[in-house]
Amino acid sequence: MQEWFADFKADFQLNFIDDGRWRWIVQGLGNTLKITLFSLLIGIALGIMVAAVRSTYDKNKEAMSKHKGAGYHLFTVVNAICKLYLTVIRGTPVVVQLLIMYFIIFATSRNDVMIAVIAFGINSGAYVAEILRGGIMSIDNGQFEAGRSLGFNYVQTMIYIIIPQVFKSVLPTLCNEFIVLLKETSIAGYVGIVDLTKAGDLIRGRTFSAFMPLIAVALIYLVLVVVLSALVGKLERRLRKSER
Amino acid sequence: MRDNKEAAIATRMDDHIISVRGLKKHYKGGAIKALDGIDTDIARGEVVVVIGPSGSGKSTFLRSLNMLEIPSCGEIFVNGVDIVGKGVNINQHRQKMGMVFQHFNLFPHMTILKNMTLAPMKLLKKSREEAEAKAMELLEVVGLADRATSYPSQLSGGQKQRIAIVRALCMEPDVMLFDEPTSALDPEMVGEVLDVMKKLARDGMTMIVVTHEMGFAREMADRVIFMDAGVIVEEGTPAEIFDAPKSERLQSFLAKVL
Repeated sequence: MQEWFADFKADFQLNFIDDGRWRWIVQGLGNTLKITLFSLLIGIALGIMVAAVRSTYDKNKEAMSKHKGAGYHLFTVVNAICKLYLTVIRGTPVVVQLLIMYFIIFATSRNDVMIAVIAFGINSGAYVAEILRGGIMSIDNGQFEAGRSLGFNYVQTMIYIIIPQVFKSVLPTLCNEFIVLLKETSIAGYVGIVDLTKAGDLIRGRTFSAFMPLIAVALIYLVLVVVLSALVGKLERRLRKSER
Repeated sequence: MRDNKEAAIATRMDDHIISVRGLKKHYKGGAIKALDGIDTDIARGEVVVVIGPSGSGKSTFLRSLNMLEIPSCGEIFVNGVDIVGKGVNINQHRQKMGMVFQHFNLFPHMTILKNMTLAPMKLLKKSREEAEAKAMELLEVVGLADRATSYPSQLSGGQKQRIAIVRALCMEPDVMLFDEPTSALDPEMVGEVLDVMKKLARDGMTMIVVTHEMGFAREMADRVIFMDAGVIVEEGTPAEIFDAPKSERLQSFLAKVL
C-alpha cells in the first residue's frame, strides 16, 4: 500500500508538478469552459429563434394562407431556411463542421477559440431548436385555443401560457443537450485548440504516462457534469413545487 | 321573469349580435364538407342550443364563430362587423366572446385566481385588485371561492368546468360559446355545471351551446338548432323540435337520444 502510494505520488509529481504541467490543465479547462459557455449562449439564442419560426409557421399556416400577403411569402422563405439549417447541421458530424469552419470559412482568422464557439454554437442551436419545438408541439392545442379565445394574440399566448409550460417540460432534455455540448467540445483539439482533453493528451505525450493525465481529465469532466445536473435538478424541483 | 326575457328578445329581434351567412368549411379541397352553408341569426340575450349527431359540424360551427376554425367561405357578422374579412382584429372580437371547451383547458401552471385574472389584467388593463375582486365575486357565485389558491390539478372535472366558465366571464363577454361543456364529465358532475349555465342564461347572457344534454335544451333554450351533415336541418323552439319534429332525420335522431 505504501509502495503504491509512493508510486502515485511520483506519477503525480511527474505529470502535474514538473515543468508546471498543471498549467496546461488549467488552461485547457479554461478553454473548455469558455467554448461551452459561449456556444451554449449562441445555441440557445439560435434555438429559440429557429423554434419560434418553425412552430409559428406550422401553427399559423392555415390562418396565413387565407390572405396570402407579402408577409406570408417571406415567412415561407424564412421557414425553409430554418429547415435547411436543421437538416445540414444535424446531418453532418460536428467534427466535420468544426474543420470546415476552421480551414474554409474562417481560414484567415487565427482566433481559434472564437471559431470553435461559433461552430459549436451553430451546431447546438439546431438541437436546441428541435427540443424546444418538440416541447411546444407537445402542449395540448387546447391551451393555445383557450389563450386565443380569451383574446390573447399569438405572441401573448406563447409568452403567458405556452412557454412557461414548455420550459418545465423540456428542462431535462435541454440539460442533456448541454451535457452533450460540454463533452463534445473535447474535439476542439482537432483544430489545435488546447482544451481540457488536448491538455491531458499533451501531458501524456510529454511524460509517456497515460494513466494519470487522462483519468484526471475524465474526473474533471465528470465533476462538471455532476454539478451541472445538480443545478438543473434543483431548478426543476423549484418549478415543480409551484404546481402543488 | 321568463316572460320578461322573451319580451326583451322580441323587441330586439332586429338587434342581432351574430349573423351568419353562407358559412362553409371544406377540408381536402372540398372532399369533406364539415359545414355546407349555414345561415342564422343570434339575437342579444338569446339562448341557442345546437344539437346533432357526431360529425354533423356543430362543433365546427361553434368554433367558427370566434375563428378558432377558419371558414372556407361565408360571412360572420359580430356586432355588425364581418370577422372573416381581411384586416379585422380578431383578438378584440374574441375578448367579447367567451368560450368554454369540452376539456376545460385551464392553465395548469397557474392558480385558479391567476387563471381568471390573467386576461383581464393583460388585455383589459385592469389593476390586480380590480381583477381579483371581480374573480372572487364570480367564484363566490359558483361556490368555489375557497379554491382560489388551488391549482387546476387539484380540482374535480365539474369544478374545473365551473372555473372555465367564470374565467371566460371575467372578460365580461357579450356572448358565451359552449362546446360540449359536460361531455367530458362524470355523470354526477354534469348537474353542477348545468346549474351554472342556467343561472347565466337567466341573467340574460347570450349563449350558444353545443350539447347532448337534451334536458338542458328543453328547459333553457329559446331556440334549438338541429344540424346534420354540415347544414341546419331544422330549428325552432324546444317544443317544436322535441315534441313535433318535422324532418325524418331529426325524428330518428331523437328516437336514439331520448
